[in-house]
Amino acid sequence: MTSKRALEVAGMLAAAVALCLAPSYLERGTLNDVWNVALAVVLASAWNLLGGFAGQVSLGYSVFLGIGAYTTVLLALSGVPPAFTLPVGALLAAGASVIIGLPTFRLRGPYFTIATIGVGEAVRVVASGVSFTGGASGLRMPPASFDFESNFRAMTLLAVAVVWIALLVSRSPFGSALAAVKQDIDAAEALGVNSTRLKVSVHALSAALVGLAGGLFAINFQYVSPGSVFDFRLSLTIVLMPIVGGVGTVAGPVLGAILFGWLQLKLLSTPALLNSSLFIYGALLIAVMLFEPKGLLGLVRRLLARRLRRFYVDA
Amino acid sequence: MTDVLHVLIDSLLAAGLYATMAYGLAVIYGVMRIINLAHAGIMMLGAYATFTLFTRFSLDPFLSSVVVVPVFFAGGVLLYQTVVRRLPRSGSTPSMESLLLLFGVWLVLQNLAYVLWSGDTQSILTPYTLKSVSLAGVRVGVPALLVFGMSALSLLVLEFVLHQTYLGKAIRAVTQNRDAALLSGVDADRISAVAFGIGTAFAGLAGTLLSTLYAFTPDFGRTFLLKAFCIIVLGGLESVLGVAAGAFVLALLENGTAVWTTVPTSLQDALSFTLLVLTLVVLPQGLPGLLHLLRAPRRG
Repeated sequence: MTSKRALEVAGMLAAAVALCLAPSYLERGTLNDVWNVALAVVLASAWNLLGGFAGQVSLGYSVFLGIGAYTTVLLALSGVPPAFTLPVGALLAAGASVIIGLPTFRLRGPYFTIATIGVGEAVRVVASGVSFTGGASGLRMPPASFDFESNFRAMTLLAVAVVWIALLVSRSPFGSALAAVKQDIDAAEALGVNSTRLKVSVHALSAALVGLAGGLFAINFQYVSPGSVFDFRLSLTIVLMPIVGGVGTVAGPVLGAILFGWLQLKLLSTPALLNSSLFIYGALLIAVMLFEPKGLLGLVRRLLARRLRRFYVDA
Repeated sequence: MTDVLHVLIDSLLAAGLYATMAYGLAVIYGVMRIINLAHAGIMMLGAYATFTLFTRFSLDPFLSSVVVVPVFFAGGVLLYQTVVRRLPRSGSTPSMESLLLLFGVWLVLQNLAYVLWSGDTQSILTPYTLKSVSLAGVRVGVPALLVFGMSALSLLVLEFVLHQTYLGKAIRAVTQNRDAALLSGVDADRISAVAFGIGTAFAGLAGTLLSTLYAFTPDFGRTFLLKAFCIIVLGGLESVLGVAAGAFVLALLENGTAVWTTVPTSLQDALSFTLLVLTLVVLPQGLPGLLHLLRAPRRG
């Protein structure tokens, strides 16, 4: 077992080093695509901490990305360097997650999901209505705040870190308690698990990670508006990626994020498909729910198991 | 004093539409314990169907409900038979699978609308759209009055069907206790198909009515879906009357804040979403629960 752990650590480190050095051996266009996939991996894996491991499906995650992005823009406009704005954004996102979570976690299953849609929409409407967000026209980052290479390194490292965190959580007693809450919340409570505290803390962890990604998002695009970061479709994509990939696993959300990154490139480069993105997402969701609720990862595992069985039966 | 009258009349008129909108959700939830997120997409489709009937065949938007309601009923039954029925049966609480599945259906419907009608904002302008009449000293738009009339009519028909026919009694029986209904020989699967059809037809009708009051795009309906949730949480699922009461409370809150407070109109929608979250958290039993609490004798 220890050798397997060592292998995993080595793999993570290798991925981190390879991604850090990527600007020296990859073209700028490819780097952009990698940045997008890394963002998707961060969002999908962070959402999966709450939605997958603890089974609390939230459709309001754009709130945390938006808080991270706006914190960075507003602080940068008053002259604070990114090294400070990012952690502040993460802290504020975590704080917001506690405020949202304390009342809504009293709700179970789909009721929680509906409440998160309500919270997300309320935040979007308020953000478009107040003046410090720049209203509907948004805010621009101060010029000369942009450095693609360091932003790229930060985003890819964050992606590796989030996957690592997911791996650690899935093996820890914390992860087991989350799994207990997911399976049967009453039984978990009876065994002494404080489900509310557990849900609030994992919500805060994942919100902080999404908040960090939001800060990097703002720096990369140099522009933030309520329509771009508090959009319902963003919350939707964040949920779709882990579900299509394989909800509740470590590899599933990564798989889903890579698939969506690839799909998005295909959609953008093929004019005929540009108008069918919602159709493709919707059809994927329907197909996964009807035929393979464990997602692509579940499908791969089932196919592998069948092949193995055939191999042994034939031999 | 005229302010009060104004708010009351406006709220009453809005409540009719809200109740129609919410009842479609309530009947599907009641019979199948499914939260129909596609409701928003179906309302949007209803608005576009009315729009097409109006522009192509110059059919009056209110008359178009004669076409929209049966077509959407059939569409709903079809959707149930082809997709929804294949879901694993959820117990007494709604399952995540059904929520996400219908979410997928919503996305597909949205894309369909983008392809068929493009993403441009559309609206329906009839000769009477901008007309208004005086009602007890309050100016009221003619479309708003007609919308209220149609909603009231649809709810009355529904009330009659639910209480006077076998079908309606079966729907109420399955809503109250599925197992007991099955034991007394109700074909729950068939009732589910019919209930899904009724829910879809009500959503289509709500779309038709909304299209006479608001401009719409393929993204239309999300705000109204959330309002509908708010209403059924407030009003409960037991009766048409409860849904109507929930609708009236929401409409009263919206109109009241618009007239008596300085909350800017751009923040109006945030109010109903906040009310939704608050009700879910504080008063999960809705208004009936509150009444029950007030009526229950206090224990020393």
